[in-house]
Amino acid sequence: MALRGISVVELAGLAPGPFCAMVLADFGARVVRVERPGSHYDMSRLGRGKRSLVLDLKQPRGAAVLRRLCAQSDVLLEPFRSGVMEKLQLGPEILQRDNPRLIYARLTGFGQSGSFSRLAGHDINYLALSGVLSKIGRNGENPYAPLNLLADFAGGGLMCVFGIMMALFERTRSGKGQVIDANMVEGTAYLSSFLWKTQKSSLWEAPRGQNMLDGGAPFYTTYRTADGEFMAVGAIEPQFYELLIKGLGLKSDELPNQMSMGDWPEMKKKFAAVFAKRTKAEWCQIFDGTDACVTPVLTLEEVLHHDHSKERGSFITNEEQNMSPRPAPLLSNTPAVPSFKRDPFVGEHTEEILGEFGFSREEIDQLKSDKIIESNKAGSKFWILYPHSNIQK
Amino acid sequence: MALRGISVVELAGLAPGPFCAMVLADFGARVVRVERPGSHYDMSRLGRGKRSLVLDLKQPRGAAVLRRLCAQSDVLLEPFRSGVMEKLQLGPEILQRDNPRLIYARLTGFGQSGSFSRLAGHDINYLALSGVLSKIGRNGENPYAPLNLLADFAGGGLMCVFGIMMALFERTRSGKGQVIDANMVEGTAYLSSFLWKTQKSSLWEAPRGQNMLDGGAPFYTTYRTADGEFMAVGAIEPQFYELLIKGCWGMLQFPSQKFA
Repeated sequence: MALRGISVVELAGLAPGPFCAMVLADFGARVVRVERPGSHYDMSRLGRGKRSLVLDLKQPRGAAVLRRLCAQSDVLLEPFRSGVMEKLQLGPEILQRDNPRLIYARLTGFGQSGSFSRLAGHDINYLALSGVLSKIGRNGENPYAPLNLLADFAGGGLMCVFGIMMALFERTRSGKGQVIDANMVEGTAYLSSFLWKTQKSSLWEAPRGQNMLDGGAPFYTTYRTADGEFMAVGAIEPQFYELLIKGLGLKSDELPNQMSMGDWPEMKKKFAAVFAKRTKAEWCQIFDGTDACVTPVLTLEEVLHHDHSKERGSFITNEEQNMSPRPAPLLSNTPAVPSFKRDPFVGEHTEEILGEFGFSREEIDQLKSDKIIESNKAGSKFWILYPHSNIQK
Repeated sequence: MALRGISVVELAGLAPGPFCAMVLADFGARVVRVERPGSHYDMSRLGRGKRSLVLDLKQPRGAAVLRRLCAQSDVLLEPFRSGVMEKLQLGPEILQRDNPRLIYARLTGFGQSGSFSRLAGHDINYLALSGVLSKIGRNGENPYAPLNLLADFAGGGLMCVFGIMMALFERTRSGKGQVIDANMVEGTAYLSSFLWKTQKSSLWEAPRGQNMLDGGAPFYTTYRTADGEFMAVGAIEPQFYELLIKGCWGMLQFPSQKFA
């Protein structure tokens, strides 16, 4: 596996950090997720391939435990607001003095500096502050955040993984770790560089929702089918657009020019009326296998059974029969080996991990009785407290 | 710079490939963008830090030029549909025989195999086929693709950069390159793993557009202001929600967040 032998300490937080660490685990890193006492489960459900340890970082002896873990690890991933780690005496100067090879990855919303850096926020806020949210949304509507995918996962988690990989690569030359300021405002903006780079082109000359790529064009949008499902149309190039028109049973010479923006609203209505006449399956019969750039909008369920993803094995099943996307991208020699096992219970591996990191039995028992750590091997504590939880519905 | 000394050959295509190569250039790689005769300019405008070469790959002597470039490069990034490079006698078997250290990155929409792998498509199609598009959109409206950011750039370009970095790192141990199948359908799905992982939780129990994170919640959406501008609200946790209410009305006078 690409990341075999790489050890990661992930300080538990929401969505972006867990995703970043899961990706590293999928590609072979050994990931320890450090959770605070009182945590019940990983709300983001992105614990695949990780082990879980409960540690009270607010206690000096807890912070000392983390120092020992980081002294022997390759990557620390922390999601806290700027200044929090420093306050716990766990900032990069200290941890990298212990371990100059440590890659200290700081994955936050607003970054390590700046007037917003100590404020709370979520994906939508970071997306808003990046400038990108202002471009997303239909004509006449408020800007619309596409779930929490762009800032949390793309500009956040994945951008941070990229940073960690660069630091790991660079370290093979320099022998040293680095501090990574991976923040979602800048990460999302950088990811969306195309928007700034094409600002002066005709691509964005109309108001939001009236351009080619933001819902304005009849040939780049979704349409409702007779059975209340949806098809996606992305026929930009003239030769693909011709195939779209043909598949719809329309005649080009009876329609306005493809790029006549003034006619787009009317054309959308026309196309909508045609799409509404057949079911999704019927449209697939017509368009599958062609270059018309018309594809079904598959649901999360449907995609598991669609020919293309089935042929490719795009989805994996774990021991609990839960399906999720196979890790990407595919590497020919050292593919990802995502864990088949269920996600760890909080604190399931506390003692095992500390033992591996050189803590003696006496030390572990002492830490446990002083409530610096918690051990929860069977997840039993949680189930006793929350027997009707829908965690494994 | 993190990628100093790394040389990249980028075969020109739209959006995802240029973005991937631009990121590599930004972090220090030497990037050569190979464009076909008759190209006017890079429509994606993502040429920062690159140098440009025009080469006719369809001519055997043009393909031979590319082979020589790849024999001395670290990364080849090609965006063509499955089979195109092979037809030009420029597939991975040939180029990696010349240069076993070559990282051969294939960045496409549908991937190197599968029933859709030879078809044309764009971001919205890959997003649709990934399952992810079905979750995005307001209540009562059709699913809405957020420009071409999710598939082209996130699940495509950035995911490919990540793959290239893994291959570069792995090569420091094995001495060998790899072939990377970075496709936007799978890349976007993997990026969005959270959606599959939380399917059985209450996060998505309502229809599209009526859940907490897809526009249903009053505390996780955008609002229009008096001057026609917009504010974004993301006050999920109770203590943040309290501050939202306070900022709006000066005191809590509405029912609790969960039932509002």
